[in-house]
Amino acid sequence: MTTALKVFLFSLLCSLPAWDLAWRFLNDELGANPVEFLEHHTGDWTIYFLLLTLSITPIQKFFKPNWNRWLMPMHLVRRVLGLSAFGYALLHLATYLVFDMGLSLTDSVNDIIERPFILIGMVSLILLIPLAITSTASWQKRLKRHWQTLHKAIYTLTFLGILHYALLVKADLFQPLIYLSLFAILMLLRIRFDS
Amino acid sequence: NALDFSKNPDYQPRLKLTDPEHALHYNNFYELGTSKEDPFRNADKLNTDNWKVVIEGECSKPTTFDMDDLLKLEQEERIYRFRCVEGWSMVVPWIGFPLAKLLKQVQPTSKAKFVEFVSIEDSNLPGQRFRILDWPYREGLRMDEAMHPLTLMATGIYGEALPNQNGAPIRLVVPWKYGFKSSKSIVKIRLVEKQPFSSWMVATPSEYGFYSNVNPNVSHPRWSQAKERPLGSFFKQKTLMFNGYENEVAGLYKGMDLKKYF
Repeated sequence: MTTALKVFLFSLLCSLPAWDLAWRFLNDELGANPVEFLEHHTGDWTIYFLLLTLSITPIQKFFKPNWNRWLMPMHLVRRVLGLSAFGYALLHLATYLVFDMGLSLTDSVNDIIERPFILIGMVSLILLIPLAITSTASWQKRLKRHWQTLHKAIYTLTFLGILHYALLVKADLFQPLIYLSLFAILMLLRIRFDS
Repeated sequence: NALDFSKNPDYQPRLKLTDPEHALHYNNFYELGTSKEDPFRNADKLNTDNWKVVIEGECSKPTTFDMDDLLKLEQEERIYRFRCVEGWSMVVPWIGFPLAKLLKQVQPTSKAKFVEFVSIEDSNLPGQRFRILDWPYREGLRMDEAMHPLTLMATGIYGEALPNQNGAPIRLVVPWKYGFKSSKSIVKIRLVEKQPFSSWMVATPSEYGFYSNVNPNVSHPRWSQAKERPLGSFFKQKTLMFNGYENEVAGLYKGMDLKKYF
């Protein structure tokens, strides 16, 4: 199988949750609060894919798998995972803007200004854009050593994404704390290996 | 599980009822879990056998009512709007009786200025294994709010006895306040002199006040309350002052700063 085909199939696999949501949307299977359903699921998948992206380096350092043999080159696996996270974040934002804000600019601006957790989510998504754009090999070459510095922003952005979730919860912080713990573990594994 | 009831013609507004599929499967009832699907999924964990409601405190005739006694009171159906503090809403046909009817039976004294509602506490309830809230769930009303004709003790919904996930066997319904004020599975009603603290006030005092009247002009600290999404709908509609019951209840709050007393 060519690498291009593998990348295509792997991307398709990562997009399955989105197809599931689309199917439910078309068949009226999103439950009592369809917009909340879409927002929660696209938000969850964003965080899952961010955490998966962050787990590539630890997997490499612990297990040194033969990426090429099992799947495809490591940097391509990570790129597809990272771009999937970005895709789900965009769907998340689109749901919010269309159904929560009714595409009203004034409502959106007011909401962003007044609600800290909306602001945090919005800022982290905006900051993901340059990472998504520069994820290609040609950008990597062009930016040289700056590329890695830029892409380390993913650490902060993942944390902000989890914070965005934690701040909207009414009382039960269980799920955001699980995400935060996974994030902390993935970060700790890095510290040990970098030193 | 059919109940004996009559439709009260004064409370049959021409509103589109929420699909029972939604109202009976999308619930906030943290005793049975914090996700919206948990209460339905864990409904069998709530045991309503031999249910009693104790009414005590500032009254001349403190009484313990068996559920059967309460079901002997005349049951009527009323269609109410219901607005959750989270920004979703529904229109539901409740069955029950005015709380005032019950309170009059115990003869409140002049010291009874507030009413406190205590919900079930049971180690078998999955949500109560964690101190997400200060259990048992407590709520409160001012005496005049409790005696208001709109304030209902509900025993049924959509023509049938309350399913467990909706707060069986008996719950409060205060249609002009955010949903969390309408306590579920009530075991005790206390008449008291001082304003009680509700579980949500204890949990997050800056976000949940004692009054919690539906008010599109006073935002929750983390989201706007100007609009609401009816269950089953993609788009939002405007939230009405006092959830559409302004004519009936605005007088209760005359001269009060509703931003301060949120």
